[in-house]
Amino acid sequence: MFHWLEKHPFFFAVGVFLVISFAGLIEILPNFAQASRPVIGTTPYSTLELAGRHVYIKNSCNACHSQLVRPFKSETDRYGHYSLSGEYAYDRPFLWGSKRTGPDLWRVGNYRTTDWHENHMKDPAGVVPGSIMPAYRWMFTNNADIDTAFAEQLTVAQFFSVPYNKPVPMKDGSTTVVKMGSSVAEANALALAEAKLIAADMKDQDVKDAVANGQIPEIVALIAYLNSLK
Amino acid sequence: MENRPLEYDYTVAKMFMLTTIILGIVGMLIGVILAFQLAFPEVNLILGEGLAEYTNFSRLRPLHTDAVIFGFTFSGIFSTWYYVGQRVLKVSMAESGFLMFIGKLHFWLYLVGVAAVVVSLFMGITTSKEYAEFEWPIDIAIVVVWVLFGLSIFGLIGIRREKSLYISIWYYIATFLGIAMLYLFNNMEIPTMLAQSAAGESGIGAWYHSVSMYAGTNDALVQWWYGHNAVAFGFTVPIVAMIYYFLPKESGQAIYSYKLSLLSFWGLMFVYLWAGGHHLLYSTVPDWMQTMGSIFSVILILPSWGSAINMLLTMKGEWQQVAASPLIKFMVLGSTFYMFSTLEGPIQAIKSVNAIAHFTDWIVGHVHDGVLGWVGFMIMAALFHMAPRVFKREIYSKSLMATQFWIQTLGVVLYFTSMWIAGITQGMMWRAHDEFGNLAYSFIDTVTVLHPYYTIRGVGGLLYLVGFLMFAYNIYKTMSARPVEESELQNASPMGA
Amino acid sequence: MDIAELQAYGYFALTGFMVLVLYGYIYHLYSKKKDADGHDYEDYSNMALNDDIDDAPVTSMSDDKEKK
Repeated sequence: MFHWLEKHPFFFAVGVFLVISFAGLIEILPNFAQASRPVIGTTPYSTLELAGRHVYIKNSCNACHSQLVRPFKSETDRYGHYSLSGEYAYDRPFLWGSKRTGPDLWRVGNYRTTDWHENHMKDPAGVVPGSIMPAYRWMFTNNADIDTAFAEQLTVAQFFSVPYNKPVPMKDGSTTVVKMGSSVAEANALALAEAKLIAADMKDQDVKDAVANGQIPEIVALIAYLNSLK
Repeated sequence: MENRPLEYDYTVAKMFMLTTIILGIVGMLIGVILAFQLAFPEVNLILGEGLAEYTNFSRLRPLHTDAVIFGFTFSGIFSTWYYVGQRVLKVSMAESGFLMFIGKLHFWLYLVGVAAVVVSLFMGITTSKEYAEFEWPIDIAIVVVWVLFGLSIFGLIGIRREKSLYISIWYYIATFLGIAMLYLFNNMEIPTMLAQSAAGESGIGAWYHSVSMYAGTNDALVQWWYGHNAVAFGFTVPIVAMIYYFLPKESGQAIYSYKLSLLSFWGLMFVYLWAGGHHLLYSTVPDWMQTMGSIFSVILILPSWGSAINMLLTMKGEWQQVAASPLIKFMVLGSTFYMFSTLEGPIQAIKSVNAIAHFTDWIVGHVHDGVLGWVGFMIMAALFHMAPRVFKREIYSKSLMATQFWIQTLGVVLYFTSMWIAGITQGMMWRAHDEFGNLAYSFIDTVTVLHPYYTIRGVGGLLYLVGFLMFAYNIYKTMSARPVEESELQNASPMGA
Repeated sequence: MDIAELQAYGYFALTGFMVLVLYGYIYHLYSKKKDADGHDYEDYSNMALNDDIDDAPVTSMSDDKEKK
């Protein structure tokens, strides 16, 4: 067998490929169906939240912030209940991160407010003395991309049966429906309605004016997303 | 021209040498800026408030990793392939117009890809997956570049004179196959412009945006299967390919045991792929996969050390060369750092160690003693060995090389020692409880304590960058200042004073 | 038998098989010492050392054709 492989580069390459694909086949594939089932109480992201998630990704927040609470007392004390697989069922891509230069954000919605985020994103060291996080002032003037968020909702609803406009079971036994627009115009209207609730809790007059004029600055979408992490 | 003897044709190798150096400078410069941003946050505004969005840590960070991985390292891999490939197969690229064309096309398309990546990452167009940040149009371009690389490898093998494939060729083939498989599976994504709304609209939003085929835990599994093995097939396998050629060639010594090199190859191929799970310890992936990741990471020491020891023993009886030649120094220290980081990695993959190390700077330190000490040193050594042969000129300055070696070694040592201390300090502070069972430190305490280590790391990185600039200058002067030599030299590189 | 169990058996059997192959290969290398063409494995190191375009190959493509 070995004599023969040594003489045939093509079969040699096939051999290498078999050996290196072995682990992937065994390790990854069989688990797929199981791990993608959502736990009760996990809802898909609304249009505005998803647009905020895109802002989060665009600025690589995941380079410094994890979204994974490990099952240790020190972590559950600091961040809340440890992560469950099904809680990530609607996270495409996952944003666990690999480095905690700043704290974990997976349950940040439980203990930070719109107002806190607004001040913090403008001047992190002013809110947390000693912070090395840079300010993200451009988020107050750039507008969020609602259309792309809507396109992503449509895609996941069509290809992965993510339950938009359908009842989703909650922990208390009730159900809730996450609405998705039927057209670009409706999606924008839905996002704007949600943005107005956020902007009402904010102080920045330019942001308030922009939302009143039908625009959605990135910061509003980002805060909607961060508030949804619970 | 008729009677000119056949010679190896290094045109494409030279082109990729150029990008290795330029992208190396870019990637390392960004790295140094990032390091100082962590130590002194005002560096985030290095070009003023107006450009803050583009000079911000988070925007630059993917640019740093991608510039050093896909820019510096992959250029180095391509460059050495177009050099080593011809030589050990004993066939010149000048013999095949087709392969020459493919090689040049490979280079130019690669350059287009690099430009697209730089622009898109500055704009914040990213999928967020580490080392796979590119959106689908760039993914397609990368696949094309990779196929061209494959054509070059198998094309050259197809017209070879030497029937047997040297061990380095095995490793280059494995690099090609491994990256191809990993990249394709990890980047499965659906462009969102395909979706149609209930009102019949399509092509909504940004045309380049896509959504991952995998969700949550699955996405994490596939990503770290990729992320870990991209390190295998980008930072280990091709670099081993290089050292198996360049160290014996430069020292004039045959590999200590060719049989051991074959064995280590198969061992590495089999074991490496399992170890990806160690990035996900204590996460929500199934327990048995985490355990498997740990166990295989520890086993991985064997094939890694098989190669490294083989290299060090190749120098048996010739250790005076390490003292005499700066080029051998680079390679011997590279092998040593390889042994060191392949021991450190498995230690970090042990679950109880990982509980402290994960998410901290210790991981950053581990990556950097591998890439600065092993990948960086080996690629520079390879280019130093190639330069006199492809330019037919003596190396410009031997003493500059030696100085560079010591400056960079100091840089690496400063880098990983500071990151060890920083990582372990932070890991211990995160988990510390006081006597009442409350957390002893708030998060910000664990950040401010790191300031001195971040500063030392920045200095270490800066020293490495300075050394790299010396390297670039030395190569540039070799190209231009030295007189042309008559014939190619056999083993050791000719070096000026 | 659910998929997790199959996965575990599959993993175990294949790993065992791979280990056998690897040890078989070690045994093959160190007992035979020479490969299918009758070359000592250690000779292949010379592919790096004598790699000028007019050096003689360790195993030549043209030799092979003559034999056939």
